[in-house]
Amino acid sequence: MSNKPKKSAAVIKEQRAAYIFLIPAFLGLSLITYIPLLAAFGIGFTDLKVGHFMPNTPLAPPRFVGLDNFVNIFKNPSINFQNSIWVTVYFALFAVVSSVIYSLFIAMLLNRKMPGRGFFRSIFYIPYILPAAAVIISWHFLLIYDGGVINHVLVQLGFERSFFLDSKSTVIPTLVLIAVWQCGNLIVIFLAGLQNVPRVYQEAAEIDGASAWRRFWTITIPCMTPIIFYNVLMSLVANLQIVVPALARTRGGPGKATMFMTYMMYQEGFRGGQLGTASAIAAVFFIIAAILAFILFKTSKSWIFYEGGEQK
Amino acid sequence: MTGENYRKSGMLFSGSVRSMKRNKKIADITAFIIIICMSVIVLLPIWWMIRSSLMKSLDIFMRPPPFFPPDWLWSNYNIPPTTFNYFRYLMNTLSIVVPCVVFGTVTAVPCAYAFARLKFKGKNFIFSLCVGSMLLPTMVTLIPLYIVWSNLGFVDTYWPLILPYLCGGGAFNIFLLRQFIMTVPKELDEAAKIDGAGYLRTLVSIIVPSIKSAIIVVALLIFMTTWNDLLQQMVYIHTPKNYTLVLGLTIFFGTFKTDYAGVFAATVLSFIPGVLVYLFGQRYFVEGIVMTGMKN
Repeated sequence: MSNKPKKSAAVIKEQRAAYIFLIPAFLGLSLITYIPLLAAFGIGFTDLKVGHFMPNTPLAPPRFVGLDNFVNIFKNPSINFQNSIWVTVYFALFAVVSSVIYSLFIAMLLNRKMPGRGFFRSIFYIPYILPAAAVIISWHFLLIYDGGVINHVLVQLGFERSFFLDSKSTVIPTLVLIAVWQCGNLIVIFLAGLQNVPRVYQEAAEIDGASAWRRFWTITIPCMTPIIFYNVLMSLVANLQIVVPALARTRGGPGKATMFMTYMMYQEGFRGGQLGTASAIAAVFFIIAAILAFILFKTSKSWIFYEGGEQK
Repeated sequence: MTGENYRKSGMLFSGSVRSMKRNKKIADITAFIIIICMSVIVLLPIWWMIRSSLMKSLDIFMRPPPFFPPDWLWSNYNIPPTTFNYFRYLMNTLSIVVPCVVFGTVTAVPCAYAFARLKFKGKNFIFSLCVGSMLLPTMVTLIPLYIVWSNLGFVDTYWPLILPYLCGGGAFNIFLLRQFIMTVPKELDEAAKIDGAGYLRTLVSIIVPSIKSAIIVVALLIFMTTWNDLLQQMVYIHTPKNYTLVLGLTIFFGTFKTDYAGVFAATVLSFIPGVLVYLFGQRYFVEGIVMTGMKN
């Protein structure tokens, strides 16, 4: 090595350039990602309040309170974090499964020969680009019990009216429905994946007389598993953080049916000023999200099919 | 691999191939019909908002609901600025979104270039930290960051919403650009190197022009996330005159729920910027989102 000084100078130069280019990423990863993550756990062990940052605060300086916040969020019935965990995970899993199935179905249809394919793809994408706050407000009006158009149609078709966003039992399925309506990005990703499914397999199977259903399960699905994995993972992370419908419309209700973890954290931290409690909530949230992602990664090895055995 | 066999079997079963073709045609037509029906269902809620925004508050819940507004009341869009100051909110939103888009894109490109092309110590480690942070929910870091910003006196300003975008515009966008840069032929870089171009020069004159569409995608994605980020805007913006579009809309909806015509009009107005941006960058958008899911 030492007798090739020229090469190592080039290597050093390349390294230096790389580190300079990466300054924004270093700042981002340290200052706004990983240090705050650790800090969130740290603050979770204190009784820090928003009031501590007011000038001339009458509050005693923040104290280390050990696991009190963590015990409190589970023991205090007015917080009832078990419920928050349950409704968040229930919503997220329900939304992920429904939107992945729906978007794969639509993508399969859009993958066939048809006039105006690009046009239709855009239509399915439009709901995704509308701001979430405007979307939940729109659906609020469509879903009104007395006079909303959807209940009107239900009655016309001979069904019973539903309270949708105003009943404990229907609010989560309704939010899932809205999430599915908005999942145009998944459709686009699936469509791209479908175009990469090798035609040869399909045609060979067709000639061997395999039914469309069988081809779907033995060729399309296995070839699509890496993309299904990507979509499930990304939409899981997004859906676990659901908060806008609660902020803009349901306010955690009816009852506590939409007290999602993020909304709970917002309430405790920014409405109630209890930053310590809110950080404990954030820390538990992080652990739950990490566990779910970990399970997904662990199980993925058994169901993801890499063509030619190549690893991602 | 089995071209020969394939052709042979094709000849052997030419009869069934014909019937297969017919089945395929039927399937194509069925798919087309389902897609048309689904598109109508997907668009109906949006149409319903537009239609309702052009009707009298009293008529909106009329039965049976008319599909078209009886008379098109464009005057509903004349919402008094004291309740929903659309242009003010739009300008406020843009004064957050535009710097985010510019900073985010400009800082993401060099990071992506380093990950895609340059060799350096700790690359795998830093890259996995980067990819890992894509999975990190933003809400987890909200409180520590809030504490920092409030100590700096930045609460009720736009800085807490803008400054993070100086840091590479988010891991996801760095990752996306990296994927694109990896598709640029390496020979181009090497040719530039032989011509004596440094890394910065190569980046600016070779890489950036070749990944223009990806840069547009990143700009669009940053636009989408920043103008839609109700949670952080609620946390940091308190003064009504500083409200953004989605914040103003949420507060308007919360206070004047029964001013139906007004809320409908405000909601439809808040659709517009996103739709315009989408129409402008549609092609790139689809292309870019596709890239992130695919290659590695």
